[in-house]
Amino acid sequence: MVNIGRLIFAAIALCLAPVVFAQSPSEIERRVAELEEKMRLIDPAFGKETSGKDLLTRLDQLETKLNGILAAKAPQSAPVAAASVVAGPVVPAQGPALTPVSVTGDYQASPTGETRLPVAGYMDFHANKESGDPFRPDFHRFVLLFGHSFSDRIKFWSEVEIEHALVEGGEETGEVAVEQAYLDFFVKPYFNLRAGMLLTPMGIVNERHEPPSFNGVERPFVETLIIPTTWRELGFGITGDLGKGFRYRTYLTSSLDASRFNAEGGISEGKTSGFDASLRNPAKVGRLEFAGVRRLTLGTSFYSGHAGFNTPGVNPGVTIAETDSRYSFRRFDLRALFANTWVTRAGQLNRRIQQQTGVNPNVASQMRGYYLEPAFHVLPRRARNDLIAFVRYERYNTQQSMPAGYVPLPQFDRFSWVTGITFKPNADVAIKFDYNFNRNNSSVVRTPNGINLGVGWWF
Amino acid sequence: MRFLKVLLVIGIAFGQDVERKPDRVINILAERFTYNPSRITVKQGELVEFVLSSDDTDHGFKIPAAGIDVAIPQQGRGEARVRFVAKEKGTFGFECSRACGAGHHLMRGTLVVR
Repeated sequence: MVNIGRLIFAAIALCLAPVVFAQSPSEIERRVAELEEKMRLIDPAFGKETSGKDLLTRLDQLETKLNGILAAKAPQSAPVAAASVVAGPVVPAQGPALTPVSVTGDYQASPTGETRLPVAGYMDFHANKESGDPFRPDFHRFVLLFGHSFSDRIKFWSEVEIEHALVEGGEETGEVAVEQAYLDFFVKPYFNLRAGMLLTPMGIVNERHEPPSFNGVERPFVETLIIPTTWRELGFGITGDLGKGFRYRTYLTSSLDASRFNAEGGISEGKTSGFDASLRNPAKVGRLEFAGVRRLTLGTSFYSGHAGFNTPGVNPGVTIAETDSRYSFRRFDLRALFANTWVTRAGQLNRRIQQQTGVNPNVASQMRGYYLEPAFHVLPRRARNDLIAFVRYERYNTQQSMPAGYVPLPQFDRFSWVTGITFKPNADVAIKFDYNFNRNNSSVVRTPNGINLGVGWWF
Repeated sequence: MRFLKVLLVIGIAFGQDVERKPDRVINILAERFTYNPSRITVKQGELVEFVLSSDDTDHGFKIPAAGIDVAIPQQGRGEARVRFVAKEKGTFGFECSRACGAGHHLMRGTLVVR
């Protein structure tokens, strides 16, 4: 290593030799300063204090630093690196496929070949008020994400959540939940394997739910009642990038639990979240996305499965079809989503649950919802802060169609106007306010309006 | 011989290619959880520059085959630039190396050298 260090020193000197003879001392100093700057790109801690030091001392420091870097890399990659360098762009056959030349801007170099991701997470603090009630503060979500790369091809990812700040045994308080925990096996860009606790790839928010990434303090009603959220199940499947902006995910997962379906929430309470789940009749779910145009994402998802593992004698089928889009143009954003759910044997299911619990859940055979959300960035997109004004119209009916002999209740045919602002002093911090005008088709039962304040952050 | 090798390292890394105008400049926009474009094709031997920016949080950009691993600053905080020489034909993956959200592992792309 000492010899290599001397050679490097000699190399630097030789590189500078033409300069020494052809250029002025100030030019030489400028080039050495450039080398020092480049070294600081590799190690920001490399000394900035150069005043009072002669050029030879500064070259000594560069040599020492390079020796250290080479020594650190020696056990794993020194031979490869040497070969790659010889090859360079001049002799393609002998080097690695891609040779980095420079990196500039705000960056951090990875110290080793193994990527160890730091703990990340997001938090969500809300204060909600319905008409006639006081504000109710709620530390809604405290979520930590952990990951690990066993290699470039095998990776682990997880998300652990505490909801409502407090979890106490035997009492109805918050919850601790594993939202996702899976292994990825990257085989080819178009074919990879995934297994574990998986987020169901349906809709916009289920897989993209960090507070700064959506408008409104609470998640959209449609993506809460028509599409469960946060919907995760145990399963396995394949993912991949098909090229030209298309990518897909398709899984076999544990099924929904129909014994928890009801009139107001549709199928949303039926997610098992990996607890007391069943793979006897695994559900099939798939999503195809197109993101081939800048700032445009189009997605469509399909779910099909049976949900009767807790309702003996009745095994209703659940099918969900969904399509969504996100688009940004200059200061305008637009989101839209449509989802429809079908439940087969809903009449038998209602009778079975009534036998089990004494209560008729009045589960519908079809549920439907959609929303449209235009938004405007008040500040220019390149500004360090962001202020977004938005309005969202949502229509959602958890009793779109009823089985024979059952009557839909009009209070479950609902629509909402949600309007508000999102202020981001930093791209990872969102301070939110919104007002909800909630209506339904009942002349008797009213859905209260609501005011929501919230702050959420990602780190 | 090793002397010559090291000389070339310095010459290439700190010399000609840094100052040479790239043959191709490709703008890549990162956002949860995609790169756009996510499939990039370049020619063998080209000096390529990626200009990386984000539409939301900080992201990473890692090409394991090149030993490149940089952070893309969050929206409104600038950009990162990466230059490399595509020496051999082949297909190489790139990925986000900084935890960016629930779908972090979806954030991958492909570099094709022809």
